[in-house]
Amino acid sequence: MTTAQLDKMRLELRRGVLVLAVLASLKQPHYGYSLRKQLQGRGIDIDEGTLYPLIRRLADQGLLDSEWRQGEGRERRYYQLSDLGATLLEQLTDEWRVLNAALDSLLDIATEESN
Amino acid sequence: MDLVTRYVAAVQRELPENKRDEIGRELSANIMDQLDSLADQQGRLTEADIAAVLKQMGRPRTVAQQFVPPQPLIRLSYMPLYQYTLYMVLGILFPLQVLETTMTWLSSTDMGLVRYLFGLAGGFLNDAIFGFASITAAFWLMSRQPADHSAACNTDWQPMQLPDAGPGWQHISLQDIFTDLATYAFLLVVIWYPVWMPAEQLASLRFIVSDQAHQFLKWASLLAVLGIAASLWQLRQRFWSRQMLLGNIALNLALVIATLTLAASSPLINTEAAQWQAVFNLEQLERSAMFTLIVIAMFPLWEVGRDVIRLRNM
Repeated sequence: MTTAQLDKMRLELRRGVLVLAVLASLKQPHYGYSLRKQLQGRGIDIDEGTLYPLIRRLADQGLLDSEWRQGEGRERRYYQLSDLGATLLEQLTDEWRVLNAALDSLLDIATEESN
Repeated sequence: MDLVTRYVAAVQRELPENKRDEIGRELSANIMDQLDSLADQQGRLTEADIAAVLKQMGRPRTVAQQFVPPQPLIRLSYMPLYQYTLYMVLGILFPLQVLETTMTWLSSTDMGLVRYLFGLAGGFLNDAIFGFASITAAFWLMSRQPADHSAACNTDWQPMQLPDAGPGWQHISLQDIFTDLATYAFLLVVIWYPVWMPAEQLASLRFIVSDQAHQFLKWASLLAVLGIAASLWQLRQRFWSRQMLLGNIALNLALVIATLTLAASSPLINTEAAQWQAVFNLEQLERSAMFTLIVIAMFPLWEVGRDVIRLRNM
């Protein structure tokens, strides 16, 4: 497999998971840059070109509330999970756990067979 | 900070007007946060440091597209219907253009075969561009309407209605149907147009068949009418069944017999076509016409052979 193919598949694999990661992180209010730093701190490196449009899209869908606040001499837009977003996060988390358990067992079988 | 202002302005220029202020404001705040963080690590930032951060963020146009992804002209779910409509409309325009150009050709005294072909290509291209633009505009308007998600799981079809899973050739292509339609339309116009043509125009035609051959062709034009009917039926069914194959074999066999019968008859050429006799004598013209008809008969004969093999394999 070429590096380009691997990069493409990694991107596809991460795309859905990033929504879950962002929703989970926004239980607490964050502005764009602080959210990116928090995700990086948890091992999820996401470039600004993906993260900032994603947050806006989720806000447009009503999953996030947002407000402009002044701080450190500058205005920032803070985002936080809305009620609708919280409900969706709960459902997505259940879905993720089921999928993750199923995948874990599949991957374990694959690893055993290859050994 | 002039660089950041210029960068944000460049991104805003690529955005729809109603989103420029909001996204520009937010993007500017995000970049300033990033620069602040960098300044905490490195100290005072130079223009080069700021330029490096902006370069890493991407071209202004790319960043704008990430915030507001470009909408395709035609919604993906409409694409199969769009392509089908295009094929159908262009397919109908082609035989109509053949009809129109052939009538112009036959009624003109100075239009040669090359001008006929150019006229046909030019006329079709003209109609095709108009058809393409109109259909694309209609689908563009449809794509601007809110998506109907219920259509994605539509239930207005039955698995039992699906045709048999036969070999690939069983699916009749639109191209084949419209080529046949254009050929039959051409034949009908060529055979019947002289009937309505003014006498002086008829006399000035450069090539003309004998009265006996023309009379035969008028009877044989019934086969072209049957061919048009068969093509229209194929347009409805789009799938070769045993009955349709048998019908096609019978039609093509009749065309072969009619063409060979005509080739065997004499005279084929009108002896009054004096202008041709300056170059060829009548015997040469007769022989050329006969061989041409034999070659023409090979096309339906080939289809007969092909369909017999297909029928045996069904």
